[in-house]
Amino acid sequence: MQGILPYVLRRLLWAPLILFAVSFITFTVARFGPGDPISVAMGQFRDPEALARVRHEKGLDKPLLEQYRIYMWGVLHGDLGESFRFRDRPVSDIIFPKMWVSAQLGLVALIITFGIGIPVGVLAALRQGTWVDPASISTFLFFQSVPVLVTVPVMLLVFVVKLGWLPTGGWDGIFSKHIVIPALALSMPGIAGVARLMRATTLDVLKEDYVRTARAKGLREFTVVSRHVARNALLPMTTIIGISLVTLLEGAFFTETLLGIPGIGRLAFDSVTSRDYDIILGLTLVLATAFITANIVIDIAYTFIDPRVRYGRSAAA
Amino acid sequence: MSSRLIGFVLAVVVVLVLAIGAISAVVIVRGGGGEGEEQRAQPTEGAAGEGDENEGKDRGGTAGELRLPGADPITLDPALAVDAESATYIVEIFGGLVTIDLGLNIVPDIAKELPTRENGGIVDNLDGTVTYTFHLRDNVVFHNTNRLVTASDFKYSLERALDPSTASPVAEAYLGDIVGARDMARGRAEEVRGIEVVDDFTLKITIDAPKPYFLAKLTYPTAFIVDRKQVESDPRNWTRKPNGTGPFKMGEWSLGERIVLEANDRYHLGPPSLETVTYLLAGGSVLTMYETGDIDVAGVGINDIDRVADPTSDLNAEYLTGDDLSISYIGFNTQVEPFDDPKVRQAFAHAIDREKIAQVVLKDMLPVAQGIMMPGLPGYNPESEALAFDPELARRLLAESKYGGPDRLPTVTLTEVGGGAVVGFDTQAMVEMWKENLGVEVELEQTEAATFFEDLDAGRLHMFLAAWIMDYPDPEGIVDIKFHSKSRLNDPRYGNPELDALLEEARTEQDVNRRMSLYQQAEKIIVEEAVWVPLYYGRDHVLVKPYVKGFQSPPMVIPRLRYITIER
Repeated sequence: MQGILPYVLRRLLWAPLILFAVSFITFTVARFGPGDPISVAMGQFRDPEALARVRHEKGLDKPLLEQYRIYMWGVLHGDLGESFRFRDRPVSDIIFPKMWVSAQLGLVALIITFGIGIPVGVLAALRQGTWVDPASISTFLFFQSVPVLVTVPVMLLVFVVKLGWLPTGGWDGIFSKHIVIPALALSMPGIAGVARLMRATTLDVLKEDYVRTARAKGLREFTVVSRHVARNALLPMTTIIGISLVTLLEGAFFTETLLGIPGIGRLAFDSVTSRDYDIILGLTLVLATAFITANIVIDIAYTFIDPRVRYGRSAAA
Repeated sequence: MSSRLIGFVLAVVVVLVLAIGAISAVVIVRGGGGEGEEQRAQPTEGAAGEGDENEGKDRGGTAGELRLPGADPITLDPALAVDAESATYIVEIFGGLVTIDLGLNIVPDIAKELPTRENGGIVDNLDGTVTYTFHLRDNVVFHNTNRLVTASDFKYSLERALDPSTASPVAEAYLGDIVGARDMARGRAEEVRGIEVVDDFTLKITIDAPKPYFLAKLTYPTAFIVDRKQVESDPRNWTRKPNGTGPFKMGEWSLGERIVLEANDRYHLGPPSLETVTYLLAGGSVLTMYETGDIDVAGVGINDIDRVADPTSDLNAEYLTGDDLSISYIGFNTQVEPFDDPKVRQAFAHAIDREKIAQVVLKDMLPVAQGIMMPGLPGYNPESEALAFDPELARRLLAESKYGGPDRLPTVTLTEVGGGAVVGFDTQAMVEMWKENLGVEVELEQTEAATFFEDLDAGRLHMFLAAWIMDYPDPEGIVDIKFHSKSRLNDPRYGNPELDALLEEARTEQDVNRRMSLYQQAEKIIVEEAVWVPLYYGRDHVLVKPYVKGFQSPPMVIPRLRYITIER
């Protein structure tokens, strides 16, 4: 554990620099693009003079660096700015509740994806060479190939309209019937990918000497697999799982739109097309922070999961 | 695990997948549904909650509740509203001096009666200005506080709309005719001279010239009143639960989820029959929600219109259409080659068969436009005829133009708003028609909205697809605003002194018939010169549950919820 603290500190020192760079680039690119939130919001009645006056009131005509300074000063005080589209509403009021909804939905979907994908992958690896190997993964390839735009309406038609088992859409919290269709739609496509990955890492582990030793010792196959194989095969998956947790914050545009779920995916898309600068920036900053944090946490987690991993000067194997 | 066990499990999974697929296929193909749907059509007796165990039956809301699809408003501040979504809620929550009824007539709201010259409410002053005197009702109160509305509330609200710190993009456009309004908007004055509070219930507004469309402009939200005490005590957040004077008040607003409006029992024109109106904002598959009874009204899109318009379908009895005061068109940039030559524009206009496109591609959902002014708008001319489909004439006109034919034309680009992935069939059809009938290959460009408007304003486009929705029921709001040479919204950048003269005369012409005739003459010039190629008028298609009575799809955003009742 000796080397970990300076390692973490070094990573943490980089974080604000990265965040500044990310925010500055996003800020600049957004404002240099064509159009601006005021002209979009005005719609068909576009009077250049009136536009100019509103821009002035909102501070959009100040020089770029000045606007950036004002914005970042606010961020450092916890103020993520205000939306243009939802006039005068604070950005944090808008994005955090939606992120929470998307995160809940995404979490359930992730649990399903990994919950099914990991065992299937291990199974396929264990039965490599037999028909079980390709068959198990191919079963789930079907779901990976069919896009959400198709699966959701079909599920709606069958389960909602014809059978009446599930509600049409909307959101009622993580434990309601509303979560079934979106969670299924979001989780099914990923299973095949996770399974394949798991299969690959498991195959690598199966070749290792300690597996042969465990079997030679006469351990039951189930113990060999669960205690020795799976734990080691899961190592590379940790990174994947860690990053996937961050993508929970991104939401899923199509699913949310089709099922009327108040998540962040739809908001992000709409904010870009309506040039709602502060929401775009707020989202970017939150996601960037989450990614940086996740990476650091994963790296730390590795030291616990895999005793061979060490950072810093004592990294020699 | 033995191979056999694995094999068995996998077989089960495969069989399940196939079974679900087969069942889905059968269920989908059977159409018309089974008993499940029959049951749902019968409402259950007594109060129905949402989402209780009796799903599959009527999932209706509580009695007196209307559930509609909706979208989040950009703002609920009447001074700032520029879009139809915000206006939909604002016209129900707020009120002003005058409003529009379902017949598109201007009727009094907080004012007791409309001022006219006959009743002395409109007086022409010696200096050319005109003074309107409004006598207010003495029983109008704000929601939530029950404070009585007086004339000073109007002065406050109108001045607030024009105040530069409110940053309203449109106040000047709708209130700019008032004497002193522009000065206030530009920061040159602290108040608007033309608005005078005579006493608690008498208000005088003076405008700069005898403009007959002024009262129409007052029906737009910028002229609605807001509660001064509320706005000043909470300038940032007052719109979350605004005090208005309209037939409904704000009950609940969960961003992205729902807006609930509650009836205002003290509404001065009579309390609404509905108790609450719930707008479901989250979107989702609206038609599916309608069929399962989760929503009482649903819009019908082109993918579903066949099913709904079919007279043998159950849904057909619930299908309603309403004409909109809107028009879609092709605009030409008359300052740029080749569209600076009117013969080229006319050639393009004659080369497309709009009737055929409307019938085949649009499935007759939209009426073909024959002019600039749409049915229902004062001034609409039923005899107006757009340039007809005539490919031979089109080719001849092109040959007569300064280019002599399609070969010497520079590259022509049609720009529309879009995501870039798909081109609508109607646009594709037009491009095909130009190729076939004129021999011109038109390039198609799609840009997203913000970029489109910027390019349009900068004059970079050749020809473009656009639409216009009327903001108030007066022809000045389209013929003048979009075609006068000095107007900022004249996207074709068309300058015709003869047209300008007609429009300027119509601005102050007091005789209604003569005024409309002037606009009709202007329309004739615009159509014949092919400044626009009018395409289709707007039309709404909705499904309305049979227990919802009095629902109309009005041509403009006007208050309509108070005319609706629910009878189960």
